[in-house]
Amino acid sequence: MGQIAPGTPPKIVRRLQRSRIAYLLILPAVVCMLLVHYGPMIWGFMISLRDVNVFTVRDWMNAPWVGLANYAEGFDPAGRLGARFWRSLWNVTYFGIVTISLSYIIGMAVAHVLNRPFFGRTLVRGLVLLPYVTPDSVAYSVWRFIFQARIGLVNKWLLALGLIEEPLIWLVGSRSIYAVMTAAIWKGWPFNALVLLAGLQSIPKELYEAAVVDGASGWARFRYITLPSLAPVTRTLILMSILWNFNAFNQFHVMLGRDPGLHADVPSTLIMREAFQSFNFGVGSAMSFALMAFTLVFTIIYLRMLQPREDRRGRK
Amino acid sequence: MSTQAVAKAQTARRTKPVRARRIVKEVLFYLVVALILTVVMVPFLWMVSGSFKTTLELQSADVLRPGHEPRFIPREPTLENYIRVNSTVPMLDYFKNSLIISTGTMIVATTLALLAGYAISRFDFPGKRPYVVSVFSTQMLPGILFLIPYFVLFTWINQNFGIRLRDTYPGMIFTYTSFSLPFAMLMLASYIDTIPRELDEQARIDGCSSLGILFRIILPLSMPSIAAVGIYSFIMAWNEILFASVLTGSNTKTVAVGLLDFITTQEARWGGMMAAAVIVSLPVVFLFTLVQRQIIDGLVSGATKG
Repeated sequence: MGQIAPGTPPKIVRRLQRSRIAYLLILPAVVCMLLVHYGPMIWGFMISLRDVNVFTVRDWMNAPWVGLANYAEGFDPAGRLGARFWRSLWNVTYFGIVTISLSYIIGMAVAHVLNRPFFGRTLVRGLVLLPYVTPDSVAYSVWRFIFQARIGLVNKWLLALGLIEEPLIWLVGSRSIYAVMTAAIWKGWPFNALVLLAGLQSIPKELYEAAVVDGASGWARFRYITLPSLAPVTRTLILMSILWNFNAFNQFHVMLGRDPGLHADVPSTLIMREAFQSFNFGVGSAMSFALMAFTLVFTIIYLRMLQPREDRRGRK
Repeated sequence: MSTQAVAKAQTARRTKPVRARRIVKEVLFYLVVALILTVVMVPFLWMVSGSFKTTLELQSADVLRPGHEPRFIPREPTLENYIRVNSTVPMLDYFKNSLIISTGTMIVATTLALLAGYAISRFDFPGKRPYVVSVFSTQMLPGILFLIPYFVLFTWINQNFGIRLRDTYPGMIFTYTSFSLPFAMLMLASYIDTIPRELDEQARIDGCSSLGILFRIILPLSMPSIAAVGIYSFIMAWNEILFASVLTGSNTKTVAVGLLDFITTQEARWGGMMAAAVIVSLPVVFLFTLVQRQIIDGLVSGATKG
């Protein structure tokens, strides 16, 4: 970088010359991402300001300009769609709070188990990754099978344990979100375990040895050594989970279908139907921008929440 | 000799209750491991068991009817679901579509990622930092945000230029290439960072151009990482649902969305679906196992370094 051999042009010229090659190298990737990501973001915003529907989509740039009407329709809690949208935001938040925290707790517990040497550890570590590796459509289809009322495993076991008298309907109505949560936690904790295990292994052993000498209990060691040491890992892990959670689509689409019903509708499934079944592309775009805004807001709130605690601890 | 034995006996006597407690602890520990494995494996066992059940058994199963409860061991194991996997749902066509799209994505994405990763690792070009950040941040935004305008763009291009992109292989490969690029290029860049720059300098002195260095030095040395990135792209395209459910049609439907066809409003073919599910997951699990180390290291370092 910036090394100049004798007898070459001045630094800035040389740097630009070398940069030209760099720009050429990234050009294909830039074009690709421009057309699939950056471009659509801008067009998406333009679409959200127009009445783009099944009739006007062919010539969307000349679709009637409606200003913020699409946003009003998507947001108005009194309207049919707005009410549904707010509900879907609540659903995905509730879903996220439960699945993210439980996946984290289970992941943390399993990471501690896997951090100990034992017979067959390599094999167990490999097997534990299976839920994470399995394609979403396969995993959630299997869970859909497991949650069937009459032929499913869940009802069979609940009946056997005497917890229920009659088979429960899991995938329709108010219980459906819990079925999806169960499946999502099953699929989600291995990644948490993996990341936390890597975090655990980077904590110096001497810290624990010193704590044992000082007579610290197991809980104290966890509370005052493990948790603070894992704080940076936890922060990114939870933040990524929150961001992904707002985009949740696969688990709901595969387990509950195109319309998961009021109790389990999430923004992505709602927007999908609004855009590709009702063909209200304008309203769909407006709602997806609102979704992005919520994602950003949560990111900021979360980062703020963590800031003062760090200052108190006085990290190096 | 004898003093040693005495000392040994003393320790043994002293630590007997401690040892008993240790054994109990050890047993409990292995029970916990067994519990973890059970939780992980039950859905897979249920999937495999379902794939060997007859349609009759699955349809007449009932948690309330004794003798007909669903169970893990099929009552009359059959291969019918595997043999007839293509009969009601054209699963083999979907498999072919997925193979073409995923392989295409793998080749295109890896090539573009190698070029960009080399540039990021070896050149200090103006605008590099914002570029890397913007690439990374696209991964955090909801997919649905891009899907609607992207679909509208496809329709518009078709309308005005007569080029059909929806439900075509190139259209899907292009889409998925863009999805896997961020992770692929950053992972390759960090791998290329570990290749000593002295090799570049040496080659440059020997008269190699920048592209020559890329293909003669960097490419052969980054093979492990290239394999990992390629397989990552393949798996990503194989598994993707959101865009595939809108942009693929009868010509290009992939296995990830095709799998859902086994359940219609008229009929639920669970046996066929489970057999197809087994077939769909096998390539992914196999490929992932090959490059487990690299992909996991990439993901974990992404999460830990943030």
